[in-house]
Amino acid sequence: MAYSVNVAIEAPIENQIQEIAYDGTEVYQQPLSMSESLSKLAAKIDFGKGQDEKEEKVVDKTEEDAKDPAAYQSSLWPWDSVRNKLKNAFTEVCVLSDVLAIAKEKRYLVLDPVPQEPPETKAMVTVYARKKALGGAATVLLTGAERLRTSQSEAARNRAASDFHIELLALRKNWRLKKVGNSIIGDVSYRTAGSKFASSGMFEVTKAEEEPSSGWSPPQSPSAVAPPPKTPSALRVTLPSELQGVAYIEVHCRKDDEALFSTTVTSSTLNTAGPMPDMHWQKKLEAAQNVLFCKELFNQLAKEAVQLPGPIPHMVVGNQIVASILPGIQLIIGLCHSTATKNKKSGPPQQKKSDHDHVLEHSIHQLLREVHHKNTHHPFPHPSSGPLGPSKQRCLAGPSAVDRHELMEMSKSKTLLEQIIEQTQHFTMRRRTEYVLDTIAKEVRDPLIISHWNSINSPTKACVKVNIMTHGYDTICRTLLIIHVGKKSLKCICRDGSVMNMSYEIQELRDLLICQIQQHQITAVQALAKCMGWQLLSNNTHLGVGEVQQMGNASSCMLASPMGDRLIAVRCEPQAGVHVSIAHSPRKDFYPGQLVKDRKWENLGGGFKEVRWDKMEGKNFLNKMELLMASLTSSS
Amino acid sequence: MGVTIVQHYPMTENRTGPQVIEFLTKRVHAMGAAQAGPFLVDCETYNSAPAFGPPRTVHLLNNSEQPATVFSILESGQKQVPLVSDPLFMDLMKKLGSVYTCKQQTRMEAKGPRFEVADFLVKLGTVTMNANFKGVLVEVEYRPCLVPAACWELLREFMQGFLGTCVPNQPPSYLQNRMQDIYQPLDTIQQYLDQFREYRKAVTVR
Repeated sequence: MAYSVNVAIEAPIENQIQEIAYDGTEVYQQPLSMSESLSKLAAKIDFGKGQDEKEEKVVDKTEEDAKDPAAYQSSLWPWDSVRNKLKNAFTEVCVLSDVLAIAKEKRYLVLDPVPQEPPETKAMVTVYARKKALGGAATVLLTGAERLRTSQSEAARNRAASDFHIELLALRKNWRLKKVGNSIIGDVSYRTAGSKFASSGMFEVTKAEEEPSSGWSPPQSPSAVAPPPKTPSALRVTLPSELQGVAYIEVHCRKDDEALFSTTVTSSTLNTAGPMPDMHWQKKLEAAQNVLFCKELFNQLAKEAVQLPGPIPHMVVGNQIVASILPGIQLIIGLCHSTATKNKKSGPPQQKKSDHDHVLEHSIHQLLREVHHKNTHHPFPHPSSGPLGPSKQRCLAGPSAVDRHELMEMSKSKTLLEQIIEQTQHFTMRRRTEYVLDTIAKEVRDPLIISHWNSINSPTKACVKVNIMTHGYDTICRTLLIIHVGKKSLKCICRDGSVMNMSYEIQELRDLLICQIQQHQITAVQALAKCMGWQLLSNNTHLGVGEVQQMGNASSCMLASPMGDRLIAVRCEPQAGVHVSIAHSPRKDFYPGQLVKDRKWENLGGGFKEVRWDKMEGKNFLNKMELLMASLTSSS
Repeated sequence: MGVTIVQHYPMTENRTGPQVIEFLTKRVHAMGAAQAGPFLVDCETYNSAPAFGPPRTVHLLNNSEQPATVFSILESGQKQVPLVSDPLFMDLMKKLGSVYTCKQQTRMEAKGPRFEVADFLVKLGTVTMNANFKGVLVEVEYRPCLVPAACWELLREFMQGFLGTCVPNQPPSYLQNRMQDIYQPLDTIQQYLDQFREYRKAVTVR
């Protein structure tokens, strides 16, 4: 080797490092001195081990000492062994306390647990155990869910049941129900309201079976309990077949073959809406009640029609009653009952609905209701002994000593059919009177004809006030007529107080009105003449001269001018109208003739000349008369 | 319903009751009367039981003119209480059997034909007491009038016309102090009761 390498050789650290400071300096332990190493080595001696052997030896020795107390006594004093043991124990306790003190510092000595052998783990067992635990938890959850579900369905079932009871309560509020055995039977008949109709109106109330299709869906939130309005009712009513469907009573009034008017007895809602299979029970029961009512009404009317003697017997054919009310006019009452199966049975009434009149519908209803009411509402006071039912008048007949004739009058009562016939007669008479008044008012323009119908009337009596006056002269003269429209006759009270009784033939009323119009003209002319200062010479409402009138008599009046030199003669004829003639007296020009030789005879007047009335100026008759009088009035 | 006079027609020696009725019927017919059914007025008398103090009498009367009515007159001493009631009152009286007993022998009855002569109504009644003939009563009613004073003269003249002199010139005693009042059906009954009383008193045929 050409060059040399410096090799540093250092002696290994003999001393142990006592501590390493934070700056990295190592503090070494001082090497052990001789005594120290000895004590160190001595410390390595296991005293415990040697102790046991020594003790055994000591025990042996004590036995030996007992055998040889002299030898024992010689070597040791008697508490020597005890002292040694205590000393050893003391030493050990001291060491232990030192160790503990050191260990407590945790700086030099750390107590570690003695590592034990790990427990043996079996994979399958844990799998099984976990499975079992999970299974237990699952069953807890499942039973909880099951309980929740059962309680939920229980609540749902309870809700349905309570719905049924609530609806039953609502049904009970309006309808009569009773429990027969296990079923609930109701009654729609009017028997409690006074009906004596034999046919029963029984129906059965059952719980509606649950609809299978809809299924049970949990509600969105427990608070949303309000049932939707579309839910079908929990209650079902079963009606007998004869009460199903819709019934109504049709009333026509027929003139020969032409229908004057017709009316149907039913509420319009029921008529338009056919019976639905899933109608609400309330509507269903109302319809059934209506059917029963119509049947009772028709039954009653048919019974009366057969029994009622009349000049023309009433006919009952099938479900129709034909009664003649006035010559040529018939009243036809029919019962229409359409069930759900044959819904479109009543075709013809549908088209007749256009001339529907609600008056007869109402009154025919009202008549039977009145009968019902009378059956249940007896006049007070009710005798505690004695019959209930006779009228108040009849009850008082005994104590007020009513004679035979009045009792007979009392016992007379009108049947429903008679009453409805009377009402129809009156209805017809009223229509006819209306028609005549309207047509005359239309035909005759000159005096105005104004009719006021009295608003207060009865089903068989009406009253109309007819005012005849001339436009513009209504303060001068009015002619007032009162016409009482009865069942089969008319009564007219004229202006002069005379009473005219007329039959159902309406031509009589027409003739009377035309005569009254002519009389009005004559009276109006007289009143006008008074205003104008003219003098009324003569007046005749029933003139005997002139050509014979077709109807009534002509009326006339003669007027003289204030000076007396002019004359106006007015002649009113019901058919031909008004003729007006004028005369001068004396005439201005005089030509002596063969008969009239002297001028003085001209003062007698005469020599009337007719005015061409249609050429006269003026709006109406009185206006023309006024102008004529004005022109004929001479100032001098 | 008008003013009614009930008049006793005296019997003569040689005539029986039916003969008198026949005789009067002929006279009424001669005036142009038309027969209009029969009539009946009856009277039952009830006496109170002696245990109930002073004696009282109740007369129950029926008139066929007022078929729905029972007239009853209670007499106690000088006082009279009339009652106009329903026929049910008869049943009530029967229930009161322990208080009021009916004497069958005193049952009075006037019945016979009824005639209409224009505004007049003439009834010829045979009076029987317990089926024994007692006499003849003639009832005449003037229907258009209700005040006795206004028509008494007319009635008297009419009655004297066919009954003769047995009709007094004075109205019946019951009516005498009621001449200006409105005539009631009860007034007819009172006159009948007065007449029946006379018949009861009479031993023989009047």
